[in-house]
Amino acid sequence: MLIIPAIDIIKGNCVRLTQGDFGKQKIYSKNPLNVARNFVLSGAEFLHVIDLDGAKSGKPENRDLIIELRNKINVPLQVGGGIRTFETIRDYLDAGIDRVILGTKAFEVDGDFLKKALSEFGADKIVVALDVKNGKLMVEGWLRGVDEDLEYALLRLKVIGVKYLLVTDITKDGTLKRPNFDLIRDASDFGFEVIAAGGISLEDDLRILKGISRAVVVGKALYEGRLNLGKILAISRAGNFNSNLSKRVIPCLDVKNGRVVKGVNFLNLQDAGDPVELAKIYSADGADELVFLDISASLEGRKTLLAIVEKVAREIFIPFTVGGGVRILSDIRGLLNAGADKVAVNSAAVLRPNLIREAAKQFGSQCVVVAMDVKKVGKKWKIFINSGSEETDFEVIEWAKMVEKLGAGEILLTSMDRDGTKAGFDLELLRTVSEIVKIPIIASGGAGSLQDFKMAFEKGKADAVLAASLFHFGEISIRKLKDFMNLSNISTRL
Amino acid sequence: MIGVIDYGSGNLKSVTNALEKIGQKFMLVDRSGKLNEVDKVILPGVGAAGYAMTELTRRGFTEILRNLKTPFLGICLGMQLLAEYSEEGEVRCLGVIPGKVRKFGRQGLPNSTILKVPQIGWNKVSIINETPLFEGIDDEQYFYFVNSYYLPVDGGNLIARACYGAEFAASIQRENYYGVQFHPEKSGEAGLKLLTNFCNLC
Repeated sequence: MLIIPAIDIIKGNCVRLTQGDFGKQKIYSKNPLNVARNFVLSGAEFLHVIDLDGAKSGKPENRDLIIELRNKINVPLQVGGGIRTFETIRDYLDAGIDRVILGTKAFEVDGDFLKKALSEFGADKIVVALDVKNGKLMVEGWLRGVDEDLEYALLRLKVIGVKYLLVTDITKDGTLKRPNFDLIRDASDFGFEVIAAGGISLEDDLRILKGISRAVVVGKALYEGRLNLGKILAISRAGNFNSNLSKRVIPCLDVKNGRVVKGVNFLNLQDAGDPVELAKIYSADGADELVFLDISASLEGRKTLLAIVEKVAREIFIPFTVGGGVRILSDIRGLLNAGADKVAVNSAAVLRPNLIREAAKQFGSQCVVVAMDVKKVGKKWKIFINSGSEETDFEVIEWAKMVEKLGAGEILLTSMDRDGTKAGFDLELLRTVSEIVKIPIIASGGAGSLQDFKMAFEKGKADAVLAASLFHFGEISIRKLKDFMNLSNISTRL
Repeated sequence: MIGVIDYGSGNLKSVTNALEKIGQKFMLVDRSGKLNEVDKVILPGVGAAGYAMTELTRRGFTEILRNLKTPFLGICLGMQLLAEYSEEGEVRCLGVIPGKVRKFGRQGLPNSTILKVPQIGWNKVSIINETPLFEGIDDEQYFYFVNSYYLPVDGGNLIARACYGAEFAASIQRENYYGVQFHPEKSGEAGLKLLTNFCNLC
């Protein structure tokens, strides 16, 4: 998020107003150029310059000073105030001003000024100022109200192609009373690149705005020393993605006839213990979720599984997913009713994709995990069903998009090529799928070392990672893995 | 006696299993009349706000919940329903606390970032105000979330917050009403502790 310090000019002086009231002005400097220089020295990468005399009169009164600023300061500038003709716009843009801010002319009842300006100069050069006072749009130096309905205005502006919207709650401006977050959110919802302004006074304002606006104009708070420019620049830059959601580590327990089994690629299956006991151990060890896969492939096995699910649900209090042989809606219902948080479907979804839609509708998307087994055939990643024995015509990208559309909550993506090899996850496959859908991806197949997990998160863009034998055979402990992830700066729940 | 409201929205079993685990007596309440028999109320919920409000109204819960004097805990959707309005279904909710519930992801992130929605997983919860609900729980403890919609932090009544693309309310309180956006019944030991704290409220 970009922090843009503001310089408002009245008769060549650098001032701040309160609520746009010209009668409540305070002069902070007689030398706006110095103010600009200081901002840039502190790290500002963009400046906001307003010709307040111009806003009132309708003509660019302080034009020469502004051009001087442009010539002596080496960061981009956005300029507003009294910009009401094409000549003025052209003059500023030709002089090297990066964006011009249009307020009054954007809300003119007759004529196509804004539309023509967008066409002539391009949406990248035009910022529309949305100045709101108690729900009403204001223009002409915030002195005159406009009849246009706010929401209608937002829609109209969006339709004609406005890209940048400078959103200010006039009643907050210059008050140091925190911005109008809801106004900014509402504008953001329309899809504009929002530049928030008016009242920003706490560091927390910036943290909150980071999730809702692309840039923030800060004025009085800087002049009054309430906010330190260097510090807020650091806040705005910290972490290129604002989120504390941790990456998940999920052990997978294959269940056959009431016992957990372990083996490699279903060969040499050994008994690994009681499902409930193992679940408790993994949970205590730090597992974020669990997956139980029924590999019984029998009716008896299914009944036993339901009993296990009920027991697990009474004993562990982290989320768990159950899958394996789930065929029809009532299978899903049964497992959820028994206490499973999510149900994984695989072959049944490929054979009848609507199963996903129905399950999502009845139980909620968050309960539906679509598992997919993928193998490279020639140049294509093909979907396989029936425990990976049968190739289908589906390719992973189209199938992933389809399941997302149908309402899947998550995708459990297994690389058959890597499964059991301990050669690491198929990072290209993971990243490809992760980037084309908006639902989380659980990576599976190929885990062999701590580094593999790290790669799956960093390069593969996986949201979660599944492993079975690695944990069951005690080769890697969850605790150790999470410490490693944490040291690698991967968001981890410790 | 804890009353767990059953309005056809979400997996009650997780919540009741957790209550059993911590040794709390509870009963399922599917009609408002039964609220007389309980001294605390839990409103769970997973699913859509629109559908939930319709069901709550149909079963006669709406007015009573708005005027409750006994301790109340809203979980996930149950917390969101305390707000004035939800974008999910464009529906008016209980209005016990101010604010509008919004969807993750539409707001100002750089184009290169994909915010996966819903948020699924463990997120760090920062405690803002000390309350009995979080007694004995560390600050920046992780809790389990599954949500596409959220309540912003600037509406007031904030006890705890978290961040997913945007800063959002992890827990709120107004008088006897508590809300948690996460699932305490799915958040391991910390979650069970929180539920215990709620059950111990007077």
